[in-house]
Amino acid sequence: MGEFVSFLQNNLADFWTYTGFYNATPQHLIMLCVGIFFIYLAISKEFEPMLLIPIGFGILVGNIPFNMEAGLQVGIYEENSVLNILYQGVTSGWYPPLIFLGIGAMTDFSALISNPKLMLIGAAAQFGIFGAYIIALEMGFDPMQAASIGIIGGADGPTAIFLSSKLAPNLMGAIAVSAYSYMALVPVIQPPVMRLLTTKKERLIRMKAPRAVSHTEKVMFPIVGLLLTCFLVPSGLPLLGMLFFGNLLKESGVTRRLAETARGPLVDTITILLGLTVGASTQASEFLTMDSIKIFLLGALSFIIATASGVLFVKIFNLVLKKDNKINPLIGNAGVSAVPDSARISQILGLEYDPSNYLLMHAMGPNVAGVIGSAVAAGVLLGFLI
Amino acid sequence: MKRSHIGIFLSCLLLPFFCSCGEKKVQKKLVINEVLIDNQSNFEDDYGVHSGWIEIFNKAYKSSDLAGCLLKISYQPGDTISYFIPKGDVLTNIKPRQHALFWADGLPRRGTFHTNFILSTTNSNWIGLYDSGGKLLDDIVVPAGILKTNQSYARVSDASDEWEVKDDSEEKYVTPSTNNKTLDSNPKMEKFELHDSMGIGMTITAMSVVFIGLILLYISFKCVGNAAIKLRKKNAMKAHNVTDKKEAKERKFGEAPGDVIAAISMALHEAYGDDHDVEETILTISRVKRSYSPWSSKIYTLRETPHKK
Repeated sequence: MGEFVSFLQNNLADFWTYTGFYNATPQHLIMLCVGIFFIYLAISKEFEPMLLIPIGFGILVGNIPFNMEAGLQVGIYEENSVLNILYQGVTSGWYPPLIFLGIGAMTDFSALISNPKLMLIGAAAQFGIFGAYIIALEMGFDPMQAASIGIIGGADGPTAIFLSSKLAPNLMGAIAVSAYSYMALVPVIQPPVMRLLTTKKERLIRMKAPRAVSHTEKVMFPIVGLLLTCFLVPSGLPLLGMLFFGNLLKESGVTRRLAETARGPLVDTITILLGLTVGASTQASEFLTMDSIKIFLLGALSFIIATASGVLFVKIFNLVLKKDNKINPLIGNAGVSAVPDSARISQILGLEYDPSNYLLMHAMGPNVAGVIGSAVAAGVLLGFLI
Repeated sequence: MKRSHIGIFLSCLLLPFFCSCGEKKVQKKLVINEVLIDNQSNFEDDYGVHSGWIEIFNKAYKSSDLAGCLLKISYQPGDTISYFIPKGDVLTNIKPRQHALFWADGLPRRGTFHTNFILSTTNSNWIGLYDSGGKLLDDIVVPAGILKTNQSYARVSDASDEWEVKDDSEEKYVTPSTNNKTLDSNPKMEKFELHDSMGIGMTITAMSVVFIGLILLYISFKCVGNAAIKLRKKNAMKAHNVTDKKEAKERKFGEAPGDVIAAISMALHEAYGDDHDVEETILTISRVKRSYSPWSSKIYTLRETPHKK
């Protein structure tokens, strides 16, 4: 009997070593708190809930402590575990192009087509990427790592994941979480910078209503866009190709079912998988490092630089534009391609100073140009560094 | 045919011409990469025998299968020996950027990678690799007397055009089944670290490319937009039977204000969506009459209630 009790005790003691309670470290607890904080932000503050809920819950999933030496094949970094298989869409970089397909299928480029000069604002805002790149180099990161960190300033989660999976896979978790976190925090980061860099007179500028865009122009846009951008930067093909393809599905008018699948069930499925696995990749042992803290710091800086450069570019651009053709600098921030959040900020701030000045349509131009710009920038970095 | 259509047609014809102005490159995936003729103490095969060898490199970024290909050798004109690389061996499928080594020992029964010929140590060796359709993929002549014992004739780096003698020294070592040049650094990264440690150069170049890309798009859609506006005006003039451009300008043909477009869009939306603000207050109840059919009758689809006899 005594032997049996001792057998049970040993068994229980053995089981105890497998539990999360036994294997928990302070780092795990910190990460679990971060995950809960993300979920709180998503539900209570409604900061990008579509992204922060999967990522936040993914952080919880990825930080359940377990005996890593037992070969349970449950961790995201254990080969052939379920989470690892799902994570392969991130590491091999095929989730981001599918997200881009969905973005293309849900984006209306009319604002951009009707006023193509707004594209230049989308280009200017990419200074955020390279500002952060320069600072990251100064902080001791190598060029590949610096480029991956800099792309956070593109404010485009899929692009950031795509580039970091190619250039700095070891930093991808921190970069992805940082990119998505700051995208969620756009309403906090951008308005002070916009207020600081604009005068009251500038904020009241009324822009010309966009002209109606014909169906032919809308169909031509993805075709011409693909050919021009990808001939220039073929390394951006996976992202730009899918973005423009999705848009052609939408605008052709004859592939409604395909467009609806791309912008609906497909993009939702990939968003769930991407968010969950990116969150789970923040396993405390891999994530809580000094580099991650630096990446978060640089991510914030890159967003600030991107916003400032967009706004300042519009101010400079206005110097050469005719009086009746001026651009409200409050749409400069929308060059940061967090679609449609940064455009919404332009609208909210515009209404704050003039309740009848609707900037959303105008801001969508640089906003979608920012998506193209950041994908081109990622292609350039990939071409230069790989 | 309209003049614009002729222009588009001619442009399409000219485009491939401009694209192919550069040097025409033949796309060969498989190349002969390194050859060792007199092997005395170099790499040995699975039987522990030293023989001459030929290394083939798959320079593509996808797998290539050697099965069915031919390795040919000639020591003098008109005297060619062919080795048919057998089918059915999974090992003939070379992974991207990987190598396959063939032992020129004249003993093909020892396996797929043992050829039916040997390399001549006295004459020049012409070696050719042909695909299964008999098309030459790559060939090389190893001149007589150029190689000493245990020396190889190899491309400077994998698939490069330049060849050199590898004398097994520290700098030029023989590399069977591996890269001809070991890459122990990242030259691109080193170049950036050396010349652009601040990242300014990268910023200028990359931002220029981003701007060029979007400026090209801007110019294209500026032109497309102008053409679309002109076309709209032309159509409006046609619809109103107006030929005078001045009159059309005064009457602002093709320039519908945004609020008008919004109103039309809303009306169309309501029409297609069958939405209306005022609901009809007449309620019509009509009796739906269904003709009887035993196929849809419930009586025939129900089982008989069990009863006790």
